[in-house]
Amino acid sequence: MQSANAMVTEEDNPEREKARAIRARQRAIGRELRRMFDEVAQEPVPQDFLELLNKIDEAGQAGKKAS
Amino acid sequence: MNARPEMSSSSSRDEIPDDFKTELLDLIPFLRAFARSLCGNQEMADDLAQETLVKAWQSRETFVAGTNLKAWLFTILRNQFYSDRRRAWRRAPWDQESAERIPGTHDDQNWAAELSDTARALRTLSDEQREALILVGAGGFSYEDAAAICHCAVGTVKSRVARARRALIAILDGDEKLPSDQRSASDAAKEIMSELDRLVPDRTMLRSHDGDNDSDDEEET
Repeated sequence: MQSANAMVTEEDNPEREKARAIRARQRAIGRELRRMFDEVAQEPVPQDFLELLNKIDEAGQAGKKAS
Repeated sequence: MNARPEMSSSSSRDEIPDDFKTELLDLIPFLRAFARSLCGNQEMADDLAQETLVKAWQSRETFVAGTNLKAWLFTILRNQFYSDRRRAWRRAPWDQESAERIPGTHDDQNWAAELSDTARALRTLSDEQREALILVGAGGFSYEDAAAICHCAVGTVKSRVARARRALIAILDGDEKLPSDQRSASDAAKEIMSELDRLVPDRTMLRSHDGDNDSDDEEET
């Protein structure tokens, strides 16, 4: 987009500015990713998960006794 | 953590359940989050997370005590995700109604109501880039663990993460319809809906039974 050359000193700042903006953007994206992930992770565990875990446990115990 | 007894001998079976179960229980939230990030769709993601729990329970004796249980579970979940999807494609890749059930494809609108711009952009990445970025960027895994989970080299994960980050920025900055982080999720949802209407006139076919974010225009901050 720009002829970014060290020859033109005024161009330096926009380049640095751009790099800084990109880094800030990366950090913002990182925060957003973690937020999305944590949002789900912080939901209470649905009841059917707990039931499932109990069920497979019982099944395992029963199978063990049977064998 | 690594004080758990050896799990190789069959006589140790009786000692496994409680300990292992408690740890599984603790990790369910992360499994759900990872599943959601892969599938997009909550219902499908929870099915996937539950399948993972069952698989993990069945193969609990292959887990090496003292190693990273979270990474082990994520590996199972990820394998399950891809094998489910392969199966779905094999079944009827041409059929829209089954395509609806393929994770990460046509069901993305289910997530749209709560989608931020970043989340939308994330859906456009390749599976490899998305999972690498999520594991490292959100899941808190090291590059090494992420590489083990994805069955690839550490360098591969690093470059996928780097490319994913660049791609996200390009998408977010390149698309004038995604100007800021402040835009409301419902706007984003509406946009996807209208886009879908354009692409798929019979969109109702693609929707399951959530039909709640379709016609109501309420703004949810």
